[in-house]
Amino acid sequence: MADQTGTAGHALMQQMGITTENIERRKRVVGLCPDDLARIAAIRDAVAGNCEQLTSQFFDFLASLEEARPLFGNREMVDRARRLKSEHVVAMVQGDYGTRYVEQRIELGLIYSKAALDPRVFLGAFHHLVKAMGGSVMKRFHDAPHDAFESFMALEKVAFFDVGIIVDVLIFERERVIGRQQEAIRELSTPVLQVRDRLLILPIIGVIDTHRARLLTDNLLQAIRAKRARVVVVDVTGVAAVDSKVANHLLQAVTASRLMGATVIVTGLSSEVAQTLVTLGVDLSRLNTIGDLQGGIEEAERLLGYTVASTPSPNGHSPSVHPQSVQPESA
Amino acid sequence: MLVPVLKQGDVLIASIQAALSDADLLQLRDELAEKVGRLRARGVIVDVTALDVMDSFATRTLRGIVQMTKLRGAETVIVGIQPDVASAMVQLGLTLNDISTALDLEDGFALLASSLAGRHRGG
Repeated sequence: MADQTGTAGHALMQQMGITTENIERRKRVVGLCPDDLARIAAIRDAVAGNCEQLTSQFFDFLASLEEARPLFGNREMVDRARRLKSEHVVAMVQGDYGTRYVEQRIELGLIYSKAALDPRVFLGAFHHLVKAMGGSVMKRFHDAPHDAFESFMALEKVAFFDVGIIVDVLIFERERVIGRQQEAIRELSTPVLQVRDRLLILPIIGVIDTHRARLLTDNLLQAIRAKRARVVVVDVTGVAAVDSKVANHLLQAVTASRLMGATVIVTGLSSEVAQTLVTLGVDLSRLNTIGDLQGGIEEAERLLGYTVASTPSPNGHSPSVHPQSVQPESA
Repeated sequence: MLVPVLKQGDVLIASIQAALSDADLLQLRDELAEKVGRLRARGVIVDVTALDVMDSFATRTLRGIVQMTKLRGAETVIVGIQPDVASAMVQLGLTLNDISTALDLEDGFALLASSLAGRHRGG
């Protein structure tokens, strides 16, 4: 288990681009220098000896916060976090802040991220911990406040080094979630559906921007090739607002489809959209438009030579359209 | 690079196999204009499936082919424009507005057949 998560921390470290040079850079950013290591060595026992108590302070403070409830709802997670934190408190004063140290910080950051711990909540608790560490240091050096202060400041550099990593992990994980959601939306947003042989439907719902319009056009063209479509019905019932830019994107998709030998029928232009387009003076003369999706499909079937015949249902109720009754006319 | 021009019934098929230089394109245009008359073709299909770039010169030459063969009494269909090519052409404003296009050779034949049949009916 520990090994497994160890590799998770290591993998994330690589994804985040944290290399040895990056770690050195981070140390320089917080001003951690060799002198500090000597000062930290002086307070090693004062802090490490107190590590259980310090860890408890960190978690007791977190437990008192409403925002950290998800973390404490999961027994296993909180135990792991506690163990890692206790190791962290000891490691903070060991003077070795290399790859292994960063990896452990990232693992802890991952737990916070899983518990949906906000950076500000973490920062509050972490500040509490550092303050408690300061208390331990002061107690040890009660007769030399200057040394105590120097040592504590060195320790604080390490603390900020840690904070930098943890916050980066939280942001990175959050961005990863956003990226995944964007990907999902992108995939959902451009379905190209086949209704009959050589007839595709492209329902567009929501807002069209340049990026999406491009994606839409690409998907449509690929689908025309893959499904050998001759007619495409683009339904824009779900598009609330259209401006000249969107109209142009639509026109481009239509023109590109035509280049591939497919006819495009646009359906579902609402009265508001129609008014906007006319007011804007967009030239849509090359656009083949039909009122609603049903009409569009009927027109497409006509173009493809399909006829729909209704046959009375066996029990004499209203006529229904059977799949077999949709047949291409023999040319 | 020579483009083979095949005769199938009263339709000529020019199947472009690789990227063409401007000179090759002009040669294809001249050859088609000449063969349409000599072989008494009623239709021409130019297959551009193999092309992954279509610049303004190629577009203009294709337009030239369509217009010349039309004057010589044949209809031309461009077939096999790839999705990426179509997309790029539209971005560049090369829209081949008044030219017939079809998905592939098969569709090109069907399109020619129906439009030639219409012409017969129309007189």
